Amino acid sequence: MAASINDDASLAGGAITVPPARRGRRISGGYLLRRVLLAIESFLVTLVIGFIVFSLVPSDPAQALSRAQAVTAQQMADLRKDLGLDQPIIVRFFRFLGNTFTGNFGYSWEFRQSVGGLIASAIGPTLLLMGCATLISVLLGLWLGVRSGWKPGSKFDRFFTGTAVTLWSVPTFWLGMMLLVVFSVGVGPLPRIFPAGGMSDPTVDPSGIAHILDVAHHLVLPCLTLVAVTFAQNLMIMRSSLVDELGNAYLTTARAKGLRDSEVRRRHAVPNAMLPAITVIFLQIGGLVGGAIVTETVFSWPGLGLLVYNGIKIPDLPLLEGTFVIFSGSVIVFNLLADLLYRVLDPRVKG
Amino acid sequence: MAGSSRRLARRVGAAAVSVLLVGGLALFGQAPAASADSASTLIVQGASFKNNFNPWTSYVQGDKEIITNIYPSLTYLNDKQKPAPYLADSWTTSSDGLTWTFKIHPDLKWSDGQPLTAKDAAWTLNLIMTNKTAATSNGALVAQFASVEATDDTTLVIKTKVPVADMLYLNAAGGAQPGIPIVPQHIWEKDVNDLAADSTLVVPTVGYGPWTLTDYKANQYATLTANKDFFLGGPKYDKLIYQQYNTPDAAVAALRSGQLNVALVTPAQRASLKDDKDITTYSVLGSLFLSIEINRGAATKSGKPIGDGNPLLKDPAIRQAINLGIDRDTLVQKVLDGQGVASGAFLPQQYTDDWQPEEKITFDPDKANKILDDAGYPKGADGIRTDPKSGKKLSFRLGTHSDSAQDAQVAEYFVPWMKNIGIEISLEPMSFSLLNENLAKANWDMLFDRWGSGPNPTYLLSTQTCATLPDDDGQNGNTDSFYCNPEFDRLFALQSTQVDAQQRMDTFHKMLQILYTDGNNLILFYANGLSGVTTNQVKNFMIGSTDSAGNYPPQNVFLNWRTAEPVAVESSSTNVWLIVGIIIAVVVVVGAAGTILVLRKRSTADAKE
Amino acid sequence: MSTDQRPADALPVVTASHVNRPPARFAGVRRRVMQFFTMPTGVFGAVVLVVVVATAVFAPLIVPSAALDVTRVDGPSLHPPTAGYPLGTDQAGRSVLDLVLWGTRSSLVIGIIATALTVVVGTTIGLVAGHYGGWVERLLMQITDWVIALPGLPLAISLAAVLGQGNTSIIVAIAVTSWTGTARLVRAQTLAVGARSFVERAKALGATDGQVMRRHILPSVVPIVLVTSTLKIADSILSAATLTFLGLGNPMDVSWGSILNSALGQGALTAGAWWYLIPPGVAILIVVLGFTLCGRALETIINPRMGAFR
Repeated sequence: MAASINDDASLAGGAITVPPARRGRRISGGYLLRRVLLAIESFLVTLVIGFIVFSLVPSDPAQALSRAQAVTAQQMADLRKDLGLDQPIIVRFFRFLGNTFTGNFGYSWEFRQSVGGLIASAIGPTLLLMGCATLISVLLGLWLGVRSGWKPGSKFDRFFTGTAVTLWSVPTFWLGMMLLVVFSVGVGPLPRIFPAGGMSDPTVDPSGIAHILDVAHHLVLPCLTLVAVTFAQNLMIMRSSLVDELGNAYLTTARAKGLRDSEVRRRHAVPNAMLPAITVIFLQIGGLVGGAIVTETVFSWPGLGLLVYNGIKIPDLPLLEGTFVIFSGSVIVFNLLADLLYRVLDPRVKG
Repeated sequence: MAGSSRRLARRVGAAAVSVLLVGGLALFGQAPAASADSASTLIVQGASFKNNFNPWTSYVQGDKEIITNIYPSLTYLNDKQKPAPYLADSWTTSSDGLTWTFKIHPDLKWSDGQPLTAKDAAWTLNLIMTNKTAATSNGALVAQFASVEATDDTTLVIKTKVPVADMLYLNAAGGAQPGIPIVPQHIWEKDVNDLAADSTLVVPTVGYGPWTLTDYKANQYATLTANKDFFLGGPKYDKLIYQQYNTPDAAVAALRSGQLNVALVTPAQRASLKDDKDITTYSVLGSLFLSIEINRGAATKSGKPIGDGNPLLKDPAIRQAINLGIDRDTLVQKVLDGQGVASGAFLPQQYTDDWQPEEKITFDPDKANKILDDAGYPKGADGIRTDPKSGKKLSFRLGTHSDSAQDAQVAEYFVPWMKNIGIEISLEPMSFSLLNENLAKANWDMLFDRWGSGPNPTYLLSTQTCATLPDDDGQNGNTDSFYCNPEFDRLFALQSTQVDAQQRMDTFHKMLQILYTDGNNLILFYANGLSGVTTNQVKNFMIGSTDSAGNYPPQNVFLNWRTAEPVAVESSSTNVWLIVGIIIAVVVVVGAAGTILVLRKRSTADAKE
Repeated sequence: MSTDQRPADALPVVTASHVNRPPARFAGVRRRVMQFFTMPTGVFGAVVLVVVVATAVFAPLIVPSAALDVTRVDGPSLHPPTAGYPLGTDQAGRSVLDLVLWGTRSSLVIGIIATALTVVVGTTIGLVAGHYGGWVERLLMQITDWVIALPGLPLAISLAAVLGQGNTSIIVAIAVTSWTGTARLVRAQTLAVGARSFVERAKALGATDGQVMRRHILPSVVPIVLVTSTLKIADSILSAATLTFLGLGNPMDVSWGSILNSALGQGALTAGAWWYLIPPGVAILIVVLGFTLCGRALETIINPRMGAFR
């Protein structure tokens, strides 16, 4: 389970960190500025950490890259120069910084292309996959979480929390492989109903509705895999958030006013429970990228995750570095959004 | 009364169902790939495919396979793996072997209608000789060229510094290692300053060959359109698509459902595909060996020892014992499921007229133990031998490629075999880059090694010459295993000038015998290339005929893709496709509308409260 | 959230009633053990773990190591289950059941070592930050916040790839990417405990910082850390399996992740070798589920308000 490696994406319902409630706060210009600056600071630190990680072991890829092909000694020296390996580390750091801010990210060792170009072509598929999976997983998780949390211990609750925890314990890659076996390879009499990999069928007209349907057809299995292993988190968060509200006096008051159970839940409990839940869920979206790496690998989905997988072998440091920057950036952006979102929404107003 | 959250629930449920429906319906929409289009399309698995179709810088075999089909070369490798006329109709060599004169086929045109002449060829080769970027991929091939000149539109003269025996191979299209592609001068002239730029790749690509690159999507596929008027015979198919699959399973699943016509398969998959009547599997003699190389005392060009290799491996007795302790036949049976050739030869049999060593080394652990006993390495209580002089155990490191399942599989056999003769092996999995770095610095005892060769083995043999040893500072080396033998070097220099094929082959045999005897690189086997083809859709795919073991000779994409022919298929109903499409569209629209409605209703409801 | 300077009260701190009790270390242990046994999921998890750990410990007795030596086995290659091979064979003719049983060891050991490292690092940082306060705390917590902002798996992949394949790299990669939660938890707990009278008294009596941390604060931190570790082991095992599957493990090691990695490399999915694919995955599922259920039950006992998961 990829997401689990991120501490914040842990299922541990008890470890959910919910920002403290603030009453009736609006986002002031000053706060916004401060928060954005913090995000930028965080991103810069990430870049430094990233650079340190990728410079931990001195590496001479020229030797590896020129293996198995005819090269002259002069060509090797030129290759080292092209890759910037003859520069002192501080120069390389500033080159890396410059590269990052120009979206260039250097030159991939494995693909012999600019990392920026590779990322640009891969980011769309990843966004599509992650977007669909996140949307479905959040909706499904919230809905099931509300149902489970309202009556903890009910059959419904036991069934769905049980299912969720089980699916959460399944390794993402293995679930993907199983789905691949059942739906793409075909088991026994079962037909093969979904394509085994890729994002589109090149024989289908690459424009128009046929193409969209084709992509949707390819999307089903990877999306299903991601949803299956991530909706549990959302369910558990929403559930425990709602359970926390259950004992509160305002619910008793609402009931005393003669409101029906479903109305109490809808008007009072859920809105209050929803806010912390949504915030935490938002925080975890960034952590989902790990799941994308594994899923894209299993289903040959041509996104950033597949790039990462392809970069592991050599290892292709510029490519890993570039994708790492993109992943970190997206986590920071989502954290920022979650923070701002929390400021905008406020539960107690309607409570 | 149902609360709105129940309503919400129901709608979310409905949305989920509609998503499932889309999936469910989309699956019925799938049609066999080959019949989905009115044009015939051959879909093949792109192996190690980087989407670098730049003729100057591309270096991966998968990309070169495509380049050799969209740019011409002076010659091509025919079904016998020998150079045959392509752009050059004929050629002559001067008596000193230093001047080659090629007669270029007249009246050819690039795909944009401009004439293709000897001048394009001269410009291309000159650029590779003078421009660093242009030399990235094929620079070493022209290292011995002195000058290249087009004396007129149909005559190309290449002068070389020394006789170049493999001139026709260096310029041959097709095969495992395609030669130098000729590119249109009028297209590339303007890009001379930045030949590697991404912007140089424009589709459709202007080139000449059996195919034209008309579309590609990075990391997904490349579409090639047939040049039916190709003067050596146009392809039978209208389109050729290289589709990338990341795992062997994805490719074979696609093969089984007919979405892919040609796929590479593993031994296990080959066994399971035997029952599939629509698919035929082929076994092709492999040109890539797997070996374990031994550090027998690495040294620089000047003879200075470098690296931390275990000095015990300098002892020929130990090396011989290791060699005798390996059961190559079992490796082929178990690791390759019998699909390979157990061989200790440095070059594959198909390119060496079936050379056999004078005295074949066969698996004999008893003999290995005896050799080590006689050499004075007694076994200890733990069964591991000790060198009495240094008091050290016969314990060696073996570096494996951590991304290679095959290395791990072979190591699982190798380690107990060595233990059996009293040698301890500790495995060190390393990344591709780290392993090669350690190799260059000679920081290793034993390493897994993998090399491939085409019909022209010059480059592979060159990795065993003294010239590839590093300088004293450890730089500038490109050696395979720090091997250096003056007699081998003499033969290497000799063969490179032997324009007569038979004489050259005799020299190769002598070189192979030297390597075999010295045992610095213990070749284990040549794995067969296994492929699966949907023969219910494709025919005439394979070239050549099988040998006694049922193996085909090496295949050649320059020929395979041209000879492959579609099998007439029953026309599939496109109406089904259309109807399904409409249904799905309706579901999507309804689902989307429903979701939007729910969300809006929800937000207005909230606002009211 | 990473860069947000969140006040301590936002962190999951053990409830007040627990904190205010004197640090009689395992007071009420008996009651809690009894409570644990009233939770079916927790008991189920515990039983699973006992069986799994027993398997790991006794694997060499159940399966002789010769059964894993490819040169000494003679089973058919990739054969479906038979009486002799209840879970079929792998390509080399070894029993998949033997491989999976043996794989328990490596999978469990990596998960536990990685977690131990995580917990030690996290606890030390949290304890030091919470106890000393001031710039030490600000610095350590700032670093924690920065690391939390890093995407876990991509960082772990990069680290393991850079450090070179193998179990050590995997363990380091997991520890580096997952100590932050523990650090925050321990710091908050330390702050809560440190403010209380018995700690003040110890300080007044001249106890050194080290003594205070070891004797007074650590004991009140240990229970909650142990509980979160149970959940962390589940995470670590999954992460280790994922990294191994991606090819960052030691290919010679028999672990569940590496069995699946070789299954993928050999095309076992399309070869229809389901017996080769399902057991290792189910094994991971069972162990992770065992740790998760057990951990959540323990969490409910330590802090009833948190879980209510039974």
